[in-house]
Amino acid sequence: MSDTEIANPPATPETTGTTPVTARRSTAARVAPLIGWAVLLLVLFLTPVYVPGEWLSVLCWIMAGGVAAMGLTMLIGQAGQFSLGQAFFLLLGGVTYTVLAADGDAEYIGFGLPPLVALIGTIIISGLAGAAFAPISGRLRGIYLGVASLSLVFLGYYLSHELPMLAGSASSGRYAPTFSVPGFDFGETNPQLLLLNVPMGAAERQFWLFAGLTVIAYLVGQGAMKGRVGRGWRAVRDNEAVATVMGVSVPGEKAKAFAISSAYGGLAGVMVVWWYSGLMKPDEAVELGTYSTYTTIALLAMCVIGGLGSLGGAIAGSALVFGLPLALPLLTGSNQTVDASGTAFTPIVITNLVFGILIVLIVLFEPRGLAGLGTRLRNLIRR
Amino acid sequence: MITSKKRLTAGVFAGLAAASLVAGCSTKAADSNSSGTGGSAGGVKTDVGVTDTEISLGALTDQTGLFKVLGAASTQGNQMWADDVNADGGICGRQIKINVSDTGYSAEKAVTLYNQSKSKDLGYVQLIGSPAMAALKKPLVNDKIAAVPLSWSSRNLDVPNVLMVGTTYDVEVINGLAYLQKQGKIKDGDKIGHIYLKTEFGENGVEGSKYYASKHKMTVVESGVSATATDMTSSITALKGAGVKAIVVTSGPTQLASALGVARAQGLNVPFFGSSPTYTPQLLDTPAGALLTSGNFVTAGVVVPFNSAVPKAKEIASKWEKENKDGVPTFGMNLGYAMGMAWGAVLKQACSDGDLTRQGILDAIRKTSVDTQGLTPNQDFTHPGSPATREVFIYKPKKTEGGLDANPEKFISQEAQEYKAPFQE
Amino acid sequence: MTTFVQVLINGLGVGAVFGLLALGFVIIFKATEVVNFAHGSLALFGGYLAYQVKDSIGWFGAVIVGVLSAAILALAIERLLISRAKHASHDSLAIMTIGIDTIILADVVRRLGTAAAPFLGDPYDTKSVSLGSLTVSRTYLVALATALVLFTLFFIAFRKTSWGLQMRAQSENKEAAALMGIRSSRVTASAWVVGGLLAGIAVFFLATNDIGGGSGLLSAHTVAFAAFPAAIIGGLTSTEGSVIGGLIVGLTSALGAQYVNYEFGVVAVYLVMLVVLVVRPSGLFGRVDQVRV
Repeated sequence: MSDTEIANPPATPETTGTTPVTARRSTAARVAPLIGWAVLLLVLFLTPVYVPGEWLSVLCWIMAGGVAAMGLTMLIGQAGQFSLGQAFFLLLGGVTYTVLAADGDAEYIGFGLPPLVALIGTIIISGLAGAAFAPISGRLRGIYLGVASLSLVFLGYYLSHELPMLAGSASSGRYAPTFSVPGFDFGETNPQLLLLNVPMGAAERQFWLFAGLTVIAYLVGQGAMKGRVGRGWRAVRDNEAVATVMGVSVPGEKAKAFAISSAYGGLAGVMVVWWYSGLMKPDEAVELGTYSTYTTIALLAMCVIGGLGSLGGAIAGSALVFGLPLALPLLTGSNQTVDASGTAFTPIVITNLVFGILIVLIVLFEPRGLAGLGTRLRNLIRR
Repeated sequence: MITSKKRLTAGVFAGLAAASLVAGCSTKAADSNSSGTGGSAGGVKTDVGVTDTEISLGALTDQTGLFKVLGAASTQGNQMWADDVNADGGICGRQIKINVSDTGYSAEKAVTLYNQSKSKDLGYVQLIGSPAMAALKKPLVNDKIAAVPLSWSSRNLDVPNVLMVGTTYDVEVINGLAYLQKQGKIKDGDKIGHIYLKTEFGENGVEGSKYYASKHKMTVVESGVSATATDMTSSITALKGAGVKAIVVTSGPTQLASALGVARAQGLNVPFFGSSPTYTPQLLDTPAGALLTSGNFVTAGVVVPFNSAVPKAKEIASKWEKENKDGVPTFGMNLGYAMGMAWGAVLKQACSDGDLTRQGILDAIRKTSVDTQGLTPNQDFTHPGSPATREVFIYKPKKTEGGLDANPEKFISQEAQEYKAPFQE
Repeated sequence: MTTFVQVLINGLGVGAVFGLLALGFVIIFKATEVVNFAHGSLALFGGYLAYQVKDSIGWFGAVIVGVLSAAILALAIERLLISRAKHASHDSLAIMTIGIDTIILADVVRRLGTAAAPFLGDPYDTKSVSLGSLTVSRTYLVALATALVLFTLFFIAFRKTSWGLQMRAQSENKEAAALMGIRSSRVTASAWVVGGLLAGIAVFFLATNDIGGGSGLLSAHTVAFAAFPAAIIGGLTSTEGSVIGGLIVGLTSALGAQYVNYEFGVVAVYLVMLVVLVVRPSGLFGRVDQVRV
């Protein structure tokens, strides 16, 4: 099984299948990853104690984008299927969750299912919708597939406006319940729970929820890529004819890749709805807003910036693409003056410029993206 | 064994990072305590954003996005109000400070900036744009914070947190149609075309035209477009085919200019009424400029124009012109100033109630009505769900400073007074 | 019936502008296999500079400045950025053009500030022509005529000149073309220049009240996005296809907006594109890639 460097960064050598399987790993080698994960989980657990609310919401926004990008990067980097349709699955996920979890009334359709059931249902339905795109995705390649999937974003925009009883009115939207499991409400606004003397309110709980979901999404993705599924995808990506000869069902693998990627998109869509305090609202225009062509291109940018095919890279890409535009205005803070000519370098103008320049520089100097950069840095440290 | 070594290094690094985190103390615990309990300085109860000497208000404005023209001007108006108040010794013995943040008309930036500023600002003297309003409405209610929106849908009047200065889009359209009928430009039984954005703004406008039509046996021919639409050819062709006698536009300037241009090209000579956001003076310098001043188009608004003879407006205009040599003057400064005055009245009420906490502000809003010294009709916030006024100024575009005829007609129709807003009690 | 004919003319007029953008898009793709997401920004940049000089040197001078500056920007993008990133995949280069687009859009919007939006269609904008019972905006007619002339010129050049031959040779087989002595860098650079020229011309129709509405130049960037499906419908490797794709997009959106509703007009373009792709996976006239085993 051959792998090109770009699509499969050496950051995750396990997935290439080229690392010889060592018969007996040393104890340290087996324990170290577990310690690493334990420390990571502890850090994530304690983050809400130390990080102010607005930064928690930036981190949560990054994780929502990261989950969507993880799905997309597997689809593009591992299975070789170009897609510009991920924002549609965000919309689909958000709407599906809202319809399943919210109570119905005269204006809106809703089933009032428990949030956990609605969440799982949303992931399944989004995955099935992705698989349903297979007859089209199976026929198309490269940029043609990309633009074909872009039409999903347009279709989603149109339908969300035609079906306000599902998607909420384009004016003020509709509300979905925040997540809760029996005994623990993630939307708690009047918290009794204190951790190191810090009250764990909705912002803190949302961070735990998002971090948990992101870690699960990462592990599931890692598992899929390491195992049979990933090998099938890479076979299809590298050469469809050879894959067929080897007994891999090409249409089947493509459908599977789209289904998994869409399920990630659907989950991210639910996270977006939660992030907006449960608000599900269609965009005002197809080019502008939460589920717009702008977002769909931003998600693609995350994958390329992160390094195609790398899950960790997808999250790093999201930190840049989704995180930076929110972080810079927070860092510069508010001021007491305003410029009447409208030509000032406001924090948002600066953000856009920095964002654009970073993308250009990354492609110019590190085509393997942030994942490639990470590998280089690690090599530097080890030397 | 490269893998294991790498993992080990990573683990050690992460461990060190975690240790340093745990060792350090969280500042959040202290923060939330101080902001949570507040105090009662000088006999007045306070919580967030109010000290013994200062009241801090936030302005979530737009300096870079779709609404930067209105955003910049209103914010300047907000600031002028704060300067004037502070020069007179402040409110409740405290100076007013306005913290301006730029959301760029993006809902997600509005959310994070809100999360940042809510720990230091008492409330918001400005919150621009319907996407931000929709995204922040629930947080505002949960956090008991009041905000003056720069979007006027009557669908947002269900909570006292929305301190809406001016009238709502539906009432504005009712008044606009009543004005056209009073001028003899439309009559009972006519067909009225309505081009609207499929947003909070546009759809609220349609509620108005439908109400007016129902009172006068008229029919409304709707044509909804998306917020980035530019070419109104299809809408105008359809409305012309339907035989409309007047056209209402609740959209942005982009769509209004196109609609006027296409209607002229197709020989559809009917009067146009545009809601206040359809018109900016900048349009006069575009190819649509001549169509706007032809007398076929009127718009409406809640404040007097930039060049108005109202003394307060004159004062604002001369001050603004001194400080902004090359800006484009609009009515936005007057609007921003009036928004500040509304906050001022609420603060004074809360002060005399001895409660400058967020809850105190919400309670005070329902007891407040404000005289804006002629900048706007008097604003009355005491009726839940009902617009603070139902009176509008009928604007006529004119090539002059501020782009509007200096003496707009103050207008209120019977229908507007009888209209029951969606959440009116 | 008059409505129908009017819709047809409007659709063809807008479609011709999309065709200009799509043709440039396809030329760039053929030469470099890069999907140029910055195409709208080329138009925006040219339009902005034209607007800056229009009052001092007149409209015709502004056209020349605008068209040339769009071409120079395209050349700079290719020479300074695209050609330097030799190790980047085509997908990465496409993302790079997103970065370029973000920079140009952000800065042009900032520079325009709160002043009146720029308009560039002085001789024809908001002036209508009566043809019997029809009244048609002059912008559509001028756009259609200009596009027809340019398309003809381009196809003559593409077939008859050595530049056209080199272009076609390189897009057939890059290595073979290089072996035959064709300087690849010159061909790709010229492709970007032509793409820039066409975008620079298109903006003089986009930044009008007739097509761009009251925000004039600022709408150009949004409207230019429609050139993307136009290029795909025609087939990314087909120059003729891009012109036809542009007309199909213009007609589809005009008819959809007129007979269903405005938003359907927008989505209809993409539905037509999906149908075309399902039937012909490389677009109407695109080359079907051979898969090597």
